[in-house]
Amino acid sequence: MTARVATASWADLRTGRAAGVIGIVLGILAGWVALPPISTRNLVLPVVIGVAGIAAGAWATTRGEKRVGIGAIVASLAGIVVAIFATRASVGNLELVMSWGALTAASLVYATPLTFAAIGGMFSERSGVVNIGLEGMMLIGAFFGAWGADTTDSWIGGLLIALVAGAALALVHAFFAIHLRADQIVSGTAVNFLALGITGYLYINIYGDRGTPPDLPQIPDVNLSRLQDVFFFGDAFGSLNLMIWLSIATVALSYIAMFKTPAGLRIRSVGEHPKAADTVGIPVYRTRYVAVVVSGMLAALGGTFLSIGFNHSFTENMTAGRGFIALAALIFGGWRPVGAFAAALLFGFSSALAQRLGLVESWQSYQLLFQTLPYVLTLIAVAGVIGRSIPPAAVGRPYVK
Amino acid sequence: MADEPILELRSITKRFPGIVANDGIDFDLRRGEAHALLGENGAGKSTLMNVVFGLYQPDEGEIRVKGEPVAMKSPRDAINHGIGMVHQHFMLVPVMTIAENIALANAPTHAGVLLDMDAAEKRVAELSRTFHFALDPRARIENITVGQQQRVEILKALDRNADILILDEPTAVLTPQEARELFAILETLKREGISIIFISHKLNEVLEIADRISVLRRGKLIETVPREGATEAGLARMMVGREVLLRVEKAPPEPGETLLEIDGLNVRDDRGLPAVRDVSLTVRAGEIVGIAGVDGNGQTELIDALSGLRRSESGRIVLAGRDITNRDARYVLDAGYGHVPEDRQRRGLVLDFSLAENIALHDYAEPPDSRFGWLFPGRLIARARRLLQEFDVRGGGPRTRAAALSGGNQQKVVLAREIGRDPRVLLAAQPTRGLDVGAIEFVHRRLVEERDEGRAILLVSLELEEILSLADRILVIYEGRIVGEFGPDVSEEELGIAMTGGGRETEAA
Amino acid sequence: MTEGQPPEAPPEEVPAPEDTQYTPSIAARLAFAQRAGGVITPLLTAVFAFFVGGIVVLVTTGKNPLTTYRAIFDGTGLNWLFPWVSGAERTTAALNLQQTLLLTVPLILTGLAVAFAFRCGLFNIGGQGQYTVGAVSAVIAGAYVSTSHLPHVVLAIVVATLAGAAWAGIAGLLKATVGAHEVITTIMLNWIAFWTASWLFGIGGPLQVSGAGNESVPASETVKETAKLPVFWGDPFLQGLHIGFFVAIGALVVYWIILNRTTLGYGVRAVGFNPDAARYGGIPVARNYFLAMAISGGFAGLAGAMDVLGWEFRLDQTSIQASQIGFIGIAVALLGRNSAVGVFFSALLFGALLNGTSTTNLDPSIFRPELAQNLTLIIQGLVVLFVGADVLILYLWSLRRKVRRQARPADAA
Repeated sequence: MTARVATASWADLRTGRAAGVIGIVLGILAGWVALPPISTRNLVLPVVIGVAGIAAGAWATTRGEKRVGIGAIVASLAGIVVAIFATRASVGNLELVMSWGALTAASLVYATPLTFAAIGGMFSERSGVVNIGLEGMMLIGAFFGAWGADTTDSWIGGLLIALVAGAALALVHAFFAIHLRADQIVSGTAVNFLALGITGYLYINIYGDRGTPPDLPQIPDVNLSRLQDVFFFGDAFGSLNLMIWLSIATVALSYIAMFKTPAGLRIRSVGEHPKAADTVGIPVYRTRYVAVVVSGMLAALGGTFLSIGFNHSFTENMTAGRGFIALAALIFGGWRPVGAFAAALLFGFSSALAQRLGLVESWQSYQLLFQTLPYVLTLIAVAGVIGRSIPPAAVGRPYVK
Repeated sequence: MADEPILELRSITKRFPGIVANDGIDFDLRRGEAHALLGENGAGKSTLMNVVFGLYQPDEGEIRVKGEPVAMKSPRDAINHGIGMVHQHFMLVPVMTIAENIALANAPTHAGVLLDMDAAEKRVAELSRTFHFALDPRARIENITVGQQQRVEILKALDRNADILILDEPTAVLTPQEARELFAILETLKREGISIIFISHKLNEVLEIADRISVLRRGKLIETVPREGATEAGLARMMVGREVLLRVEKAPPEPGETLLEIDGLNVRDDRGLPAVRDVSLTVRAGEIVGIAGVDGNGQTELIDALSGLRRSESGRIVLAGRDITNRDARYVLDAGYGHVPEDRQRRGLVLDFSLAENIALHDYAEPPDSRFGWLFPGRLIARARRLLQEFDVRGGGPRTRAAALSGGNQQKVVLAREIGRDPRVLLAAQPTRGLDVGAIEFVHRRLVEERDEGRAILLVSLELEEILSLADRILVIYEGRIVGEFGPDVSEEELGIAMTGGGRETEAA
Repeated sequence: MTEGQPPEAPPEEVPAPEDTQYTPSIAARLAFAQRAGGVITPLLTAVFAFFVGGIVVLVTTGKNPLTTYRAIFDGTGLNWLFPWVSGAERTTAALNLQQTLLLTVPLILTGLAVAFAFRCGLFNIGGQGQYTVGAVSAVIAGAYVSTSHLPHVVLAIVVATLAGAAWAGIAGLLKATVGAHEVITTIMLNWIAFWTASWLFGIGGPLQVSGAGNESVPASETVKETAKLPVFWGDPFLQGLHIGFFVAIGALVVYWIILNRTTLGYGVRAVGFNPDAARYGGIPVARNYFLAMAISGGFAGLAGAMDVLGWEFRLDQTSIQASQIGFIGIAVALLGRNSAVGVFFSALLFGALLNGTSTTNLDPSIFRPELAQNLTLIIQGLVVLFVGADVLILYLWSLRRKVRRQARPADAA
């Protein structure tokens, strides 16, 4: 398959496909020249580049590369729109919003919970269990992280308790999905409701109207003093939260675990062809249980970052659909760790952008509207790419011995 | 010593609700022999082997391996006792390479943590060389032929030091040529001291490969005989318990006008690879044209393209004078097309619908079933009642759910619907798959009757016997091409050769 | 069975080995559950969920769960149905029951929204967003259009229904054209609706209520009198029960008719049970996905209209953000097993639960309403888990079959 794809793209280089890819690049370029540091104040340049991108896309479309071609046209139009807004905004505002260093840091911050949950989802789905319950597992991690940190007076305690809570909730999903062969989407939805109810209930019962205490132990930031003064890198990576680095490590480790160890091979085989796995003596149920529980623990870590790494408090339903965005990132990333991480970064970037757009005084009234950005982007991503993304063959199917 | 059984079964009994699948079976396998398990579909062969392989637990009886009584709780136990099984449906992960599939069971590692794929690939290459398998360890399963996949399965067992190999209907998915290659491999294995159990219902291949033959009938072991002295006729009698002749009474065809014409058709499969290549054929009123071929040679794609369920690359399909090329299913049906699909449970029926609703599947949106979008359930039921009676559907009325019927009656419902619409052209794909003898006879008789009514019938079947007994003309499909046309009196051997794709490559058989 | 051979595996309903890869659609599963379990299992499940909820109350607060449930029950007004309740108690009960039914109305509609999509094999988890879009549209039509009474009400309802349909239709279209999974797209649409509506009526938002002194009120204009639904039971000034109740009942009937008496419904059900067979039968599967989603969204949008035109009359940020009506619709549909009658009763159950645990109706000295509201969520989760997972049913069904088989040993011979 790999070989076939490689030869196909080589053969297509001179035809529509290359034109489409060039069109997409031109589209991105069209928007980019209007942003700092170049900040062209004249619309001519972006529009010229954008039109070239549209032309390339149209050419690709006529050569049968519809998806890439339409992608190029959309990207070019979007680039021109970005350029129009950018050239009309004041340079001050533009530099406030598009401060690349801060934007990168914020993207990483927003991407972190998504990364944890998406990687978690990868374990579950690669083993053949759909995990719509990521959202709930994140939420339970967020609450128990905060509560654990509060009661043990240590953020490490919070993390550990969150891991246990996430694993426990995942176990519920696993039991229903694997043993009782429930519809996995329904069971995941139920897990989400349960998490919402349980965390809300305990939150009110324990913290009442006061909310979580202000002196909640926090997961520390990692200050890289040498980087501090380096242009861009200082702002971007100089003082990131420990969990952000951990999430990147998780991506690398889970890649190794999934593709370079016997355990990973077993998880993948169970998700692709459970019967084949069974006949060579791989315990299908146990493998799936482990994978789902791992997914719950990772999702819980993502939630913990939200409560004691980023927000410094727990609030009801604070995950706000991030579990589902993580799911989209997972699919967008083709069920692979690095792909999922890249998609999480993209969605994280849109959140970061929304947040920075809200910093501009004169756009204050649009702040709430900007909040839709990550969701709109996810929707577009789902519509544009996911049909092409091939899931594990047995995902969503209960295994009957 | 050589005669000591390596595997022994003592009065194995396995019951399912309402059925005794294995009834006190005694069986033994000697070292280095090929022992065939012969029987009709449903005789209990696969159940017995699933018991041996630990997939089912026997209700009574004992399994002994090398003289020791053992409990087979799971395939893992069986594997540990040196038993390997090659299932009819291959147990291979399609997106993984051969080496990865081998490593699944028995993974070499660096320091017990990381996978050592180089070692796995080396091992596959070695084994492949030893047994002349000619396999590339890095090839993905989905990209190799069925015959190669089967060899991977055998390799998988050998890799785990299996000395007992169970092959479940191994030739069902192979072309005659590939089957010959398999037999050569089995001879090699025997020489290496590996014992083989060979499940089959084909007399000729059993006589060719087996040292001893055990015949099962209705869950009971009838007899175990050595190959020497066994005859096809004798084995057939043991298998069936009576002489059988599955030939359908039919008059010579009286072909009329051409009703279906396919011209230069090209269709791609789901992966985008050419599946149907340049197929041209015609079917005339009053004749049955059979398409013979091994599974996976483009039949499904041809059927789908004809039924408006898959786009064709190029070519033309004309049905009763109307061009139906790349029109949707609705248009094709309206043009006078009836279709008994390959898989009645997945396609032919909505199992959760009542029989009346199922019978209305094509016509519910038109008068008299409905008018201006309003459905008249009473009319659906009235028509269903009439058709169910005409087609002798038993086990339920118009309001019964389709899932509640037996396979044979479900198929009759499909026939009732398709024929009830009075189609000009009827496509019957695997119309008797999984049916019992009575239902098979009914379906066959009915197809001949419809031919005599003047319909054009295209029969696609994997069962040579079915093609031979029904078709007036036979086309052989191989790798998506029509490679030969034969009259109804062609021999099975001739067809078999054509199905390998090379009439020229005939070797003395 | 004819004179043939005994089949190798158990016959009929037990799938053959190669069929184990076949997973029934969600529509087929629920239909199976309904046949197998009747009304008993949903009832048992509900009782079980309440039982677990009771344990939660006991363990976490040490309060007597029975007292708590009793207090919640009294708040629902369902005691109005008991003939022996009289006098002042009866008057209070009537007021409470009106509130319960007021909440039952949108729950019936969002329940139908989820149920209709289920029947086509789709999981519309976006009822909340469609409800919000419907409510926003109803407010806009109700507050900014001037016309006489009947046309105004009808206009607002139609606009809201169409808006809900269009919102869900986006997900339907994406499913039909590129195969994007409706669970993810509808969730995203939920949050887009959530923030857009919050922005529209938020401080400085384009549709924030105008007038001096309102600058810091994050709410919409109030709908005009002409757009309000008339109250038929109770005092309009005390939020009596509006005629939307009959709209909801009518929607139940429409739901049943569409599914069982129209070609559209036939197509939707066929696609829901078995898309492969439907495609082969000449039914346009993609179009049915789109239509089912749009109709589903229409029900949810209508729910939004009922609340806005019936008793809320305006939307504010808090109510938009706190609303759970659309989500509860999932539990309503599952507990009601996708049937019209079932949806009615389970909507009533959850309506009662919501009202009984509301801040106004639950005595905080007995149990904190905020806690009770989360208890409702837990109960809802358990209901979805147990009913949706059709576990009990599968278990009971297998028992029953075993008994049946043993009763007919003659079959074997």
